[in-house]
Amino acid sequence: MRETWIVGAASNRFGKMAETGREAATRVAFEAIRQSGLEPKDIDYTFVSNCFGMAEKQGHVGPLINGGLGIPNVPSCTIESACSSSSAALHEAFVHVAGGFADAALVVGVEKLSQLDTLTATSYFAEAADYAFETRNGATFPGLYATLANAYLHQYPMRPEVLGSVAVKAHANAVHNPHAHFRKAISMETYLNSPMIASPLRLYDCCPFSDGAAAVVVAAKESVPHPSMEPLVVRASARAGSITDMQDRPDLLGLPATRVAAEKAFRQAHLEPRQIDFLEVHDCFTIAELLALEDLGFFPRGSAGKAEIEGVTAHDGALPVNPDGGLKAKGHPVSATGASQVVEIFEQVNGKAHGREVPRTETALAHNVGATGGSCSVHIFSRR
Amino acid sequence: MSDDLPAASHSIAEFIHGYEEDHVLRGFRCPKCSLVTATWGLACPRCGSLERTETRLADSGKVAAFTILSVPGDDFLNDAPYAYVVVDLDDGARVTGWMPGVKQQTDLTIGERVRFVPSYKPGVQFVKDADPSARR
Repeated sequence: MRETWIVGAASNRFGKMAETGREAATRVAFEAIRQSGLEPKDIDYTFVSNCFGMAEKQGHVGPLINGGLGIPNVPSCTIESACSSSSAALHEAFVHVAGGFADAALVVGVEKLSQLDTLTATSYFAEAADYAFETRNGATFPGLYATLANAYLHQYPMRPEVLGSVAVKAHANAVHNPHAHFRKAISMETYLNSPMIASPLRLYDCCPFSDGAAAVVVAAKESVPHPSMEPLVVRASARAGSITDMQDRPDLLGLPATRVAAEKAFRQAHLEPRQIDFLEVHDCFTIAELLALEDLGFFPRGSAGKAEIEGVTAHDGALPVNPDGGLKAKGHPVSATGASQVVEIFEQVNGKAHGREVPRTETALAHNVGATGGSCSVHIFSRR
Repeated sequence: MSDDLPAASHSIAEFIHGYEEDHVLRGFRCPKCSLVTATWGLACPRCGSLERTETRLADSGKVAAFTILSVPGDDFLNDAPYAYVVVDLDDGARVTGWMPGVKQQTDLTIGERVRFVPSYKPGVQFVKDADPSARR
């Protein structure tokens, strides 16, 4: 395998986009390529994620993006893995570049759902669950995570403030992120007073529906002799699946796919959790962040909440988690989320994360989940 | 409790027909790892074994996990708030379903006994064992 780098990474501001997903995707891709010092013609393959393109009456968006970049003859394909789509696309790009099938590849994730009403958007999100055995029985996407939350809280009882501390931290970080959907701090009181969506999850436990686009340029070390930005070395690119249905899982405390993907990733990288400086984890709901930190091996089961409430995971804490505000406050444009986690790591390493800088940036991990853990990607990066 | 079914239930449609029309929960039992599951598949989702026995699942069991949904799913717009439940049936199968009229977190507890009761609408409906409509 060839040493493979992230040489460019760009995002727009998440929230509500006036322009189409295709336009936003093309703009962030152009910006990521420009940062890399490469030119569009250097791209050998474009991997696009756009789960809900049909909400814009647009499928097969890859050739449109490449056409807009002036490289219509470059091959493209769309990679779908629910909320982990663009990290799955990143994995495919990594496989192509590390394996020698491409010298440089573009990863673009984009989503635009703000034109839909809330109920329609909610049902789009639920499409990643098992329709016959979960959705048809009344499950919603927040409902499935809420069910996991209740199972967890039954085993490890804790005050509502513990989940609240995840939300308060996410919003505090997002204030300093120009890409974030919600650049607004919230108090614990605001959290506790927010309406219940799916008990025990309140409104402020849930990520928003966001529009957004993010792009990453992946290149072989030898094809970028003089990178214009400090590159990220891809130390591991691992994915795993697990039984989609909760009804067939041996336990409900955590997501098995995260555990498997993390084991693979740490083995690939020859690193251990204690050697990771900061994390981007999939906090579609506050409970998901606790499950992630435990499944990834950073905290024993049942103890991540204590770390959260003690400030360990703050952007200036001992183990910063989601300094960009996470899905919770930066927003969750489904297919752009995985790529945007890499944008944050790239900006931290390149000194562009003003106001939310983490203390150490030698190594970082990105964790991105599809739905309730049917799919999971774990990437580990380090400096050169 | 569970009887082997003579009729084939090799499809999702059969499973749904089972609880909607025949008023039984259908599933599979894996002779290798002994998982009992309602989820459709050609192999056991736990161990991959292809030897699966069709079976009628138990009607009642205990709540393993749940949530109260204030914001409902598509087909449940007029039912919120309601409970979405994961239930451990008495034969070891774990299934999901919904419970009408369970409106807040304190109305249900993990471990509470519930029973499958056929519904007028889509979805596997459970009610509390103590509920009079549980007796048929």
